[in-house]
Amino acid sequence: MVGDGAEQHADSPMRVVIRISRFLPKPERPRRHSNPFAKDDAKQEPAFPRRKRQRGKQWVQDYPMRVHPQDTILNCLLSIKRDSDPTLAFRYSCGHGMCGSDAVSINGTPTLLCTATVGEWAKTPVPLSSGNEFRHTGVTTGSVDASIPVTTSDAGPASPAGADESLAAPGNDDGGDAGPDRIIELAPLPGFPVQRDLIADIDPMLEQIKRMKPYLQAKGLLATKADGAVDVFEYLQRPEQLHRYELLSNCIACGVCEGSCPVYAGGEAFIGPAALIMSSRFINDSRDGATDQRLDDIRQADGIAACQSVRACSRHCPKGIDVGEEMWRLVERSGGAQG
Amino acid sequence: MLSACCARIDVMSPSQLEDYYDAVIVGAGAAGLSATLGLLRRWRNSSPEDAAVPKILVISKLQALRSHTGSAEGGIAASLGNIDKDDWHWHYYDTIKGGDWLVDQDAAHLLAELAPQTVIRLEHDGVAFSRTPDGHIAQRRFGGHTADFGKAPVKRAAFAADRIGHQILHSLWQQCVAYDVTFAEEWYVSDLILSESDAGKRANGVLAIDTHTGTVHAVNASNVVIATGGAGRLFSTTSNSWDLTGDGLSLALDAGLQIEDAEFIQFHPTGLAHTGILLSEAARAEGGVLRNADGEAFMQRYAPEHTDLAARDVVSRAIRSEVKSGRGVADPKEPDGPRDCVWLDMRSIDPDHLETALPQVCEIIRGYANLDPSRDLIPVKPTAHYTMGGIPVNTDGQVYSWSDGERHLIHGLYAAGECSCVSVHGANRLGGNSLLDACLFGTRAGESIARDLLARKDDTRNPDGQDIPRTPDAPAIDVERRKAKIEQLLHRPADDDGAAGPASQDGGLGSAVGGAEVRQGVSDNAYALMSDLGRLLERHIAVVCDRQGIAEAKAALDHGFTRRAAALRTHSDAAAYNQELTAILEAHRLLALAKAVVNAMSAREESRGSLKRLDFPERDDERFLAHSMTDTTGRISWQPVHIVDVPPRQREY
Repeated sequence: MVGDGAEQHADSPMRVVIRISRFLPKPERPRRHSNPFAKDDAKQEPAFPRRKRQRGKQWVQDYPMRVHPQDTILNCLLSIKRDSDPTLAFRYSCGHGMCGSDAVSINGTPTLLCTATVGEWAKTPVPLSSGNEFRHTGVTTGSVDASIPVTTSDAGPASPAGADESLAAPGNDDGGDAGPDRIIELAPLPGFPVQRDLIADIDPMLEQIKRMKPYLQAKGLLATKADGAVDVFEYLQRPEQLHRYELLSNCIACGVCEGSCPVYAGGEAFIGPAALIMSSRFINDSRDGATDQRLDDIRQADGIAACQSVRACSRHCPKGIDVGEEMWRLVERSGGAQG
Repeated sequence: MLSACCARIDVMSPSQLEDYYDAVIVGAGAAGLSATLGLLRRWRNSSPEDAAVPKILVISKLQALRSHTGSAEGGIAASLGNIDKDDWHWHYYDTIKGGDWLVDQDAAHLLAELAPQTVIRLEHDGVAFSRTPDGHIAQRRFGGHTADFGKAPVKRAAFAADRIGHQILHSLWQQCVAYDVTFAEEWYVSDLILSESDAGKRANGVLAIDTHTGTVHAVNASNVVIATGGAGRLFSTTSNSWDLTGDGLSLALDAGLQIEDAEFIQFHPTGLAHTGILLSEAARAEGGVLRNADGEAFMQRYAPEHTDLAARDVVSRAIRSEVKSGRGVADPKEPDGPRDCVWLDMRSIDPDHLETALPQVCEIIRGYANLDPSRDLIPVKPTAHYTMGGIPVNTDGQVYSWSDGERHLIHGLYAAGECSCVSVHGANRLGGNSLLDACLFGTRAGESIARDLLARKDDTRNPDGQDIPRTPDAPAIDVERRKAKIEQLLHRPADDDGAAGPASQDGGLGSAVGGAEVRQGVSDNAYALMSDLGRLLERHIAVVCDRQGIAEAKAALDHGFTRRAAALRTHSDAAAYNQELTAILEAHRLLALAKAVVNAMSAREESRGSLKRLDFPERDDERFLAHSMTDTTGRISWQPVHIVDVPPRQREY
């Protein structure tokens, strides 16, 4: 879904509209909370309580900007916070793809705000060919909160018809770029309940990861010399043994693979690729001695068998893990061990 | 398996908050998690299987696994000797010399001697270290790591490709999952609660805001560990994450405590222009050369022997000096912008080798500058990297205040990691020692708490010995005052129509940046204020400073910025996930810390390590072989450096 802005000249600024699905929760509602470990015997419990849809106000807001094509979308949002709308909420921290905080949906594709550039994602709006073939149902639009400052005259709340009209017209451009503004659409990470604006509740993912006992359960064997004395103190691991799981250990738990997975998006039926990657990381670590238990754990009904090999999870992993391929290896491994 | 008696709570909700904790850990990076594990492991090793487990809560303003520890690239120093012959005494010496003799040598002794076992413990915790062909932990060269007391370079930094911080952060968190540690994520600690009696000061807990709801909670605890990381956001160009706003340091100041050596801030010479993102020292180790606008490899003039691989502070100052002499270059992204960068030239490195030796560096340059390091010159400038100073602690992580020539312990209060000062970094940190400091002294802080709890459990006045007695007579924490303050921040005054830009207010912005920027459409806000604050300090006190720059910074902080900070209100009154509310509190914190830093800088009339005063260009051991101890009153007292067996010498590389 990469936009068609790649041909932009490297240095020239461009006009772009950042179109954000916003959400403001109803106040004073006690936080719903999922907790699979509330009882020691976790297997008797449902995976987690049914997710409740947050109630609140939902709208779409446009932020017209003039930016460089190499600017990251995170930088655009930070300047919105600074210069025009401090109320916009989104998670971010390190700003260079290591912390995993800022996974969102960009033009419908889950990826990180801080590694996505404007030039790469800005797309030319395609007006709907005719009003009577399809009805636009993608986003709920409503009235904009009056307390939120509007950045420019054409930045008003998008109405179902008004949005496309205002963008199809060149409008009050301040730069002389011809043609309509390019658009980048942002929404919270799919597959998780939204909490405010671009902030999604990814606790279900972390709790699923925790179910997989995501910690080294070492065999505890230390190398010894011929006379029986302990030779070294670290667990020995040759580079080729490290190589088998090193890439998997780079997972930053950002949730991009989960947001891309059509099975996961359904809710509790699938433990999700992130938890399985974590499991695989330890299964492939020569120091770990709990492989049998780990394979049993992923054979549960919501485990590896629920993966439908769609492989959407591989496409935007910021760490370059081929998640889908790894899922397939787990299918083979867990099946093989059973037979 | 580990603590069946312990309630399993994964993510906090207010109803689950206990009315009392044995320990509250503020911060979930390497230091905070090490303290947590140190406490639990020491307790378990000294208690019967069925003993009660201490109640611990880890509070973090971020979600788990997001801490800035995860961005550390290079390595963790330890004289394992897996590749070159090494000796902890050499590491000890390098640490002291690197810190320009402002290092407490008893602390550096522990750091160097216990480094190997610290790294081994991390390996057992699951860190995927890079390996030698025979399976040992691999080690690489780092600037300032030498054999035989400065004679030759030595491979001492244990590494995991260029992701050692990520590996350590994730492994420590995983071990905490194994211990069923309770986390309160995205809670922001707003106050540190101390009480005072004849026996001295003692920690009683913290006030924290659950940012999910905006609710203020009193967290009562007999022990508090502050492990909130550094304060790179004092400067607009920094390698630090957006969250490093000096929260812990400022919490201590706010509670009436001192911070130590606040004037020492390390600048890494090669931050990618106008992003501040770090381009590892390895870029120069592999053959990268710094050039000025004339194309001259200028480091040959400043450090003929080590040229581009001279110490970080030396290179950063050389860059500043070139820029000041008009030989700087502008970021190609902003050709009309300030000429405050120099070029990093990696074109002489074989392109294939460049990709294999520096994958992360190449990726950052391509991703964030849209340049090709094998063909293009890369604009770089010094980037704020590490705060050497911090909350003063002894070698068990216990916080103290310095008065009457003595350390007075604050009972039950601990600090660890970048926000603390033991002091092993002195005036300039040695590469690879930051993760080591956080893990090693973090663990020691946790162990120290465990020892204290074990002693209280076994106390004769606690005959059944099952439960851990609480701290006696801890006063109830006053939540209402903070709640009222939050309410006030959430509601804008009625006469504010939201139209007044910060530039229209006097002080701050106008005087800081010459009124160059006019913000339209929204009234002043915490993000704009922090951005302006970063530019102010960058202009006046980054890398080099003098009396006039310090005075100008101080005047702007004391007037314009103080006024702006006091007027900040949120633009949405919804308390749930109101990031602007947190940002206002961060802006207050950052401003208070900036004042302390500038005061300490003003008092130290010498140049040492990372601090270069143009008006006092030499080190002055007669007057300043001492740690500055600064509090919010602006009063500075001086604590002598612990010199054991390495008397001060000239620091030369």
